[in-house]
Amino acid sequence: MTAPPPVSRAGNIYDLGYRRYEGARLGRAHAVRSLVFHSFRTTFGIGRSGRAKAAPITFGAIATLPAVIIVGGLTIAARFGFDRQLDDSQLVSFNNYYSSVTAIIALFCAAQAPELFGRDQRHGVIALYFARALRRSDYALGRLVGFVLATLVVLLLPMVILFLGRVLLSTDIGGALGANLPNVPPVLAQGLVMAGLYGGLAMAISAYTPRRAYATAGIIALFVLPGLVAGIVIRIGSSLVGTGLVLLSPNTIIDGTNALFFGRSLGEEYFFIAVPLWAFLVAAIGEIVVVVALILRRFARLTI
Amino acid sequence: MSLIATEGLTKRYPGGVTALDGLTVQIEPGIVGLVGSNGAGKSTLLKILLGLLEPTSGSATIFDLPVATRGIEIRELVGYMPEHDCLPPDMTATDIVSHLALISGLPRAAARERTAEVLRHVGLYEERYRAIGGYSTGMKQRVKLAQALVHDPRLLLLDEPTNGLDPAGRDEMLELIRRTGTEFGIAVIVASHLLGEIERVCDHLVAIEGGRLLRSAPLRSFTERTGTLAVEVEDGREALVARLTARGLRVVVDGAAVLVDLVDEAPFDIVRDTVVELDLALVRMEQRRHRLEDLFRDEPAATPPAAGR
Repeated sequence: MTAPPPVSRAGNIYDLGYRRYEGARLGRAHAVRSLVFHSFRTTFGIGRSGRAKAAPITFGAIATLPAVIIVGGLTIAARFGFDRQLDDSQLVSFNNYYSSVTAIIALFCAAQAPELFGRDQRHGVIALYFARALRRSDYALGRLVGFVLATLVVLLLPMVILFLGRVLLSTDIGGALGANLPNVPPVLAQGLVMAGLYGGLAMAISAYTPRRAYATAGIIALFVLPGLVAGIVIRIGSSLVGTGLVLLSPNTIIDGTNALFFGRSLGEEYFFIAVPLWAFLVAAIGEIVVVVALILRRFARLTI
Repeated sequence: MSLIATEGLTKRYPGGVTALDGLTVQIEPGIVGLVGSNGAGKSTLLKILLGLLEPTSGSATIFDLPVATRGIEIRELVGYMPEHDCLPPDMTATDIVSHLALISGLPRAAARERTAEVLRHVGLYEERYRAIGGYSTGMKQRVKLAQALVHDPRLLLLDEPTNGLDPAGRDEMLELIRRTGTEFGIAVIVASHLLGEIERVCDHLVAIEGGRLLRSAPLRSFTERTGTLAVEVEDGREALVARLTARGLRVVVDGAAVLVDLVDEAPFDIVRDTVVELDLALVRMEQRRHRLEDLFRDEPAATPPAAGR
């Protein structure tokens, strides 16, 4: 199987023809990194048509809007001499921001997760990935991590704006920086849990549902239905089943971990919950583990 | 050593369909045609070689690496062009090919450079910056070939590369395959149900049918057989058959045509004389050269399955 050198012919000197590649081959880790980066870009429609950018940019902008409005508004107010500080007394704060954008993040996931696993399966691109020097699990995890990172960026961007607003609008920047730094760990922790849970669930559904419309509908149903059912069950009067559903539904899990990380108590709509707050974190991690296992299983078994 | 060796390779799909049935064959480097009718097991064989499918039983090696356990190393050395559509319509050819080059482990700069080279090699120029959704079938087939070549494989597995192409497109694709195999020293396996096409580029043929090996031999040995003479007459076909058989020829009736086995030049004269003697209206007389049907009508592989170039 030794290859003969490329034939060069005198009459053909301008045709460089095919050249062998003798350079480096960086292996699986490089492949997975490239896949993560590509998934991240594809989620935002970068390198694709303008239409592919519409949904992610719209949802990303809506999720960022409250932060932009409050920071922008206070910046303008400061110019006219109203000296209002941006702090926890304001309507928009670190500890309630995530909860107020859950719906829009769910829509972002429902719209964009099918762009990765669904598109690869619909158009048969997956055969080209599986025919390359990586494992099926490398493909699945690369895509998943890329999407979770993209979701995390949508979640963290408004938080960064909020943070900058709080620090830079302050008369005492150094003091404000010190006062706001303790918010960073809970913001990061809650962002990671939410990106992992929402992104992971959306990717799991789209892995099993190549058809785009079905996947989107399935993801929205998964985010909405358990919470609705929990509300009905509570009204009928079972706090045990209600608690179970609350620990199953992504939206309510997120409320619980938010309270846990920011040191707050659950809202009064959770009056029936008799479990400690860390149970919500366990539920979140449990669901993420199940989701990753389901995604790996799907691509290990997929025949192409 | 062989490029590819399979031993009793069997694949049964859950529905009870047997795609491969104890296939044992050795394939040497070169341009090898893998021929068989639809459903003969060609695609299944390629997918097993790539590690995309697991065989029900039996084993296979490429470059002496067992397919079952060394899939990643094998796929690093192999380029695969699937039979079906496999390109995202909203990406450009440049974007998808360079992305797949990265996935094959090439550094970013090298991926970009190789992509430009390979796309030029397959004959895509300005179009490569347009979205694939607007491409013709011929252009898509070229992109599929380019992505199989971009990481400079030692072996190309092409599954029906001329599918959906018009005659000019077929010629160009076959010429590309021939150049890739002969000038650049990449071994090529071309799976196709069109023997007439494949024989133009291959130097070795592996014929399979029903998941079994029919024959594996150099193309030369296929063309040496002169094939069949098809004769069509208006009336009196039975009389013609009877007379030809009486003169010691092997004759088969196939629809309107009377097929005469050609072992040497003699049947041409015999048929001419017979037609004149019987005063028949001769519509057509043509030599059918080793079409796939003929190949499959011949005695199945009594020849040893292993055959070199």
